Amino acid sequence: MTTVVEVNGLTKRFGKFTAVDDVSFRVEENTIYGLLGRNGAGKTTMMQLLTGQQFASDGSIRVFGQSPVENAAVLGNICFIKESQAYPDDFKPRHVFESAPWFFQNWDAEFANRLISEFRVPVNRRIKKLSRGQLSAVGVIVGLASRAPLTFFDEPYLGLDAVARQIFYDRLLEDFGEHPRTVILSTHLIDEVSALLEHVLVIDDGKLIIDENADTLRGSATTISGTKSTVEAFVGKRTVLHREGIGGLSSITVEKLDSADRTAAASAGLELGPVSLQQLIVRKTSIPEAEFGAQS
Amino acid sequence: MDDSRPIFLQIAEAIENDILAGNLHEETQVPSTNEFAAFYRINPATAGKGVNLLVDDGILYKKRGIGMFVATGSQARLVKKRREQFEAEFVRPLIAEATKIGLSQAQLVSMIQAAPIHEGDTV
Amino acid sequence: MTALAPALPASRSNESARRVFAVIKLHFVNRFQILYMPLIVLGAIFLLNLAIWWIIVAASNGAVSGIHLGYSGAVSYIYVYGIVIAVQAISRTFPFSLGFGVTRRDFYLGSTLAFVALSFGFAVVLTIMSVIEIATNGWGVGGRMFAPLWFTNSFWLLRFVMYFCAFLFLLFIGTAGAAFYVRWRATGLTAFFAIIAVIILASVAYFTLGHHWDVVGRWIDQSGPVGITVWLLLPAAISAIAGFFVLRRATPKN
Repeated sequence: MTTVVEVNGLTKRFGKFTAVDDVSFRVEENTIYGLLGRNGAGKTTMMQLLTGQQFASDGSIRVFGQSPVENAAVLGNICFIKESQAYPDDFKPRHVFESAPWFFQNWDAEFANRLISEFRVPVNRRIKKLSRGQLSAVGVIVGLASRAPLTFFDEPYLGLDAVARQIFYDRLLEDFGEHPRTVILSTHLIDEVSALLEHVLVIDDGKLIIDENADTLRGSATTISGTKSTVEAFVGKRTVLHREGIGGLSSITVEKLDSADRTAAASAGLELGPVSLQQLIVRKTSIPEAEFGAQS
Repeated sequence: MDDSRPIFLQIAEAIENDILAGNLHEETQVPSTNEFAAFYRINPATAGKGVNLLVDDGILYKKRGIGMFVATGSQARLVKKRREQFEAEFVRPLIAEATKIGLSQAQLVSMIQAAPIHEGDTV
Repeated sequence: MTALAPALPASRSNESARRVFAVIKLHFVNRFQILYMPLIVLGAIFLLNLAIWWIIVAASNGAVSGIHLGYSGAVSYIYVYGIVIAVQAISRTFPFSLGFGVTRRDFYLGSTLAFVALSFGFAVVLTIMSVIEIATNGWGVGGRMFAPLWFTNSFWLLRFVMYFCAFLFLLFIGTAGAAFYVRWRATGLTAFFAIIAVIILASVAYFTLGHHWDVVGRWIDQSGPVGITVWLLLPAAISAIAGFFVLRRATPKN
C-alpha cells in the first residue's frame, strides 16, 4: 500500500473555536474513505486543510509526500467538490465542463457527457437558476469525470433525489473499478453509502474518534436480546456499547462475538441481532441517531 | 446486502449460494471483482476480499490473466459445510428451545415430520 | 509495507505554467459576460449618442456642427464595467479555481495576465473607434465619444497608451478591492476604502499644508494627459502587488 495522505497532530483554530483538534491519520492509495460526522463536526475544515484551502494552526499534512499549501504539483492531482461550491457569476454548466479539462489531466469528456444526460443537467441554463439538485449534479459530474488521483466529495448530493444519488454511487463504483483512485467522501447519510466505503473516519467535535476498516467495524458489534436476566447473565463483563429494555426484556449491544459465543447465546435462547454501521457509529460516539440519515 | 455483517462475508456467501444452487458450475468462470462490486453496489476492494476468502477455502481458484473459476468438488464441500452450519445455527437452538418448553425429542421429530414443506420455499 | 508516495507526475514548473494559462482561459470561457456584453452595451450607447447628435444637428438646421457637440463621456461605462469584471473575477472565480486544484499564486498570476489582455483588447477597440471618429470628423455630425476633445490631434498610439493605462489602473484597483473582500469579507472592503481615503487625504494634506500645489500644477502641465495616465501605472502596480499578498493567505468562505 502507498500512503497518499499523512496527517499528524493536525489542529485548526478559528479564534477560540477549535474546528480540528490534534488529528492524526493516514489515507492509503486507491481506497474509498468515508469521512463521517454530524454537521459542524469539522469535516469540511478537514478537507479544506488537506487541499491547501485552509492553513493549519498546528501539526503537519503530507499529501503525495509534500505539503499541499500552494503546491501546484500536489494540487494538480486533487479535485475537491464542495456542497456549497461558488461558481463565477453568470456561469452555465457548459462553462464548467468546458474548462474542467484544462485543469484535470485525466478528464474524460465522454464520461462527463454520459453523466450530464443521466443527471439531466441543463448545460445552457445559468447556474444561478439551477435547482439545488442540478447544482449538486454539476459538482458530482466534475468530481467523477476529472478522475483526479485524490478526489474529495464534501456532502456532494444535497438536493439530489434517491434515484440521482443511486446513479452517483453506481457510477462512482463502476469508474473506481476501472480507474482506481483515492476518494474521500464526507457524508451524514451513513447507511446509504456504507457499502461503498472501504475505510471509515469518524470525526466529532474536531476529534477523530474512529479510524477503522469499514468491514471490521461492521462486524465489530452484535445486539443480544432476550429476557433481562438471561441477557445480563450472558453479557457478564463484556463491554456494553448500548443498552435498551422494555419490561422484562432487554437488548444489549456488545463488541464482537466469536462463533463459540454465538452458539452459546443461541443455546441460551438469546436472539442475536445485527448492528448497522450507522447504529454502530451512533453507539460508539455521543452522536444522536437523528444526526444521520436525514436528507437536509 | 444487509448492513449488519461484514460485506465480504455476505459476498462470499452469495457466491457459495450460487454454486450450491447450480447457477455457477464447477470449472466455469465467475464474474470479476468489479462486476461483483457493481452488481451488489459495494466497494470493489470489499468484493475482492469476499472472493479471496473463497480462494483461501479452495472453493474458487485463480487462472492467471483470465480470472476466477469454480473448483472441482466445491459444490460437495459447500453442502458439507452448510450442513454443519445448519446443525450449529438451527438444530441446536431448536433443541434448546424445545427442551425449555418441555418437548421430548420424539415429539419434536413428529412435529417436524408433520410440518408442511413447500418446495418453493427452499433456498 | 507502506511508503510515502513521492510519485507526482508533472514537474512543478510545467504544471504551474499550464495552470496559469488555464486560469487565463477560465476568465474568458464565458465570453458573453466578459467580452460581448460590454461591447454590446458600448455599441448601444454609441448608437444612442449618434442618434442624439443627429437630432441636435437636424434640429439646429446646421447652426450646430463640428466640435460644438463636445465629448460625451459615455465611454466611461466600459471603464466602470472593467472594475466590475475585476471584482467578480476575483471574488467568484477564486473559490471556484481552488476547487479545481489551482494554487493562489497561479490563480493570481493567471488573473492579472487575463486583465492585462482584457485591458489591451478594450484599449484596441477604443483606439480604433477614436481613429474612425476623428477621420469622419465625429461620425459626420461632429460628435465625440471615443476621442477626448483635448486629444483629437494626437497620434493614435498615444491614445492607445492612455486607454490601456486607464484600464489597467481600474482593473487592478478592482482586483485589490476584491482581494481584500475575499480575505476579510465586508470588513476588508471597508478597510480597503479606508486605506484609499487615507492615501488621498494624506496627499491633499501634504500638498496643501506644505504649499506644494504649484509643483503639482507644473507636473500636470509638463506631463500632459498621456503622461498623467501613464503615471496611473504606479498605483495599478501597487494595487496588483498588494492584491497578491492579500489573496495569498485568503481562504474560500461560503
